[in-house]
Amino acid sequence: MQTLPRFLLTFVLLLPLAASAQTPIARPAQSGGCPTESIAFHACAVAKARTFTPPRTADGKPDFQGYWRSRNNGIAYDVEPGEGSFAVPPTGGEIIDPPDKKIPYQPWALAKRNELRTKSFEDPQGHCAPSGAPRKNNTLFGWRLMQPRGFVVFLYESMHDYRIIPTDGRPHLPASIKLWHGDPVGHWEGNTLVVDYRNLNGKHWFDMSGNFQTENIHVVERYTMFDPDTILFEATIEDATMYTRPWTLAFSLERNKEVGYYQLEYACHEGERDLQHFTGDTGRGQSQQFKTEEQK
Amino acid sequence: MKLPMVGVTIAVLLSIAMALVSAQGAGPRRYVAPRTPDGHPDLQGVWQVRNTAHWDLQHHAGSYKTPAGLGVVVDPADGTIPYQPAALAKKNENFKTRETDDPYEKCYLAGVPRTMYLPLPFQIFQTSTEVAIVSEYVHTWRWIPLTPLPRYPGYESWMGDPRGRWDGDTLVVETVGFNDQTWLDHAGNFHSDALKVTERFTRTAEDVITYEATMEDPKVFTRPWTIRMPIYRHRDLDRILENECYLYAEEVGKPIRGQHPEP
Repeated sequence: MQTLPRFLLTFVLLLPLAASAQTPIARPAQSGGCPTESIAFHACAVAKARTFTPPRTADGKPDFQGYWRSRNNGIAYDVEPGEGSFAVPPTGGEIIDPPDKKIPYQPWALAKRNELRTKSFEDPQGHCAPSGAPRKNNTLFGWRLMQPRGFVVFLYESMHDYRIIPTDGRPHLPASIKLWHGDPVGHWEGNTLVVDYRNLNGKHWFDMSGNFQTENIHVVERYTMFDPDTILFEATIEDATMYTRPWTLAFSLERNKEVGYYQLEYACHEGERDLQHFTGDTGRGQSQQFKTEEQK
Repeated sequence: MKLPMVGVTIAVLLSIAMALVSAQGAGPRRYVAPRTPDGHPDLQGVWQVRNTAHWDLQHHAGSYKTPAGLGVVVDPADGTIPYQPAALAKKNENFKTRETDDPYEKCYLAGVPRTMYLPLPFQIFQTSTEVAIVSEYVHTWRWIPLTPLPRYPGYESWMGDPRGRWDGDTLVVETVGFNDQTWLDHAGNFHSDALKVTERFTRTAEDVITYEATMEDPKVFTRPWTIRMPIYRHRDLDRILENECYLYAEEVGKPIRGQHPEP
């Protein structure tokens, strides 16, 4: 009696898979009325922002509140354009400067990146680490944005992570304290929220492809609404110890307008069942980053 | 010229004295909390308890790595959590293995209400439609809508699914949707997935939120019971930092592993 319905259910569940196997995943080529290729997107969004008037909060700041998710051309996997590899799909990249869309590494840093690229088990995100800046906006999950007076607060679904951004221009923490979350301090420049990130601990990667950081990293993020449901996100990254020059990425943040939506819990560490593979217990992977000095 | 000045001074002093007398007559003057733009008490800031509830909600003498403390259970009046007999036996077992079995020792999400009385600070944010409580401990947030929002059915989680409302000057938060994995303290006090927590946040002084939580769980307790404690505002912290418990464990070569499924 149960066989037939179960068979039917399986068939119905598999239908979308069968369809998607034949057709590439369709990505709308537009976001907020702009093309999604990074350099063209940036130029278009900047032009639209010049004439767009955002809604305002009670204290007169642009109102970004609500649910958002990024449209990022696969940047969660690789910030550079790539043909894809094991567990990494082909990516379009999101770098807008330099125009070749490559991170301007110094030779030693490029060599290290290429080595890390083969060791995705060392990606801190795989260890449920907070993703830092700007990666937190690269995730495949969304976030809730709140604007209590004097702050912009991001509550991320992914790993129940958050960013608290004071917009009172307070001084940064002393340079000697390094945090997974860094120390973001924001201010408004016209309709743009500018967030200055210091005190990052340098253990983050930008993506799943080994693009690592050092603790000298300085990130400036810019959020500009250019359409009622779309924000231009830009991040400029500086680190004279590993790059030949600063570089900038940009992509689109889109409003999630699903009625009745709210974020469910994304517990990460609690469900951990595979750390032995990250830390070398099985011999299948040896994570340098998370080994003690003696183990190294 | 001097006489009128003396007269004014006497009148001012007299009126102050009368105000003091009348205030005394009316009992302690009620504290009026600062307001957010929409007129509700402003609970925003960096807060932390200064008690031992994290170690044991009930009265307890000191023990190894545990500070002594008076209990925070105010109902029942004797300060004892009203366990069903089988549940009390389980609590006593938990107590014996707390150094390894307390979910906090594994850096797991602390659940509700325990997140509110960890020995670590948290920050409250408010708008007219929502409240967020953001904790240092393993970068946790609680998002509390103040507007009607239907719950997803069958939801199970570490931190629960809260809904909030203002009851006069008190923020009331009702949370369900828990799993049965968190403990209420390090002493092994626990709950089931039938737990319902009703919290009340009242700013009763410039630097104090009086916090109350009532636990209902028909699978574990014989009746609802309530804890109450002050939560203090940090005057010397303008931002919370972070406590990445399980990453610190990896850094010192003691990674916390889950149970690997049998092949």
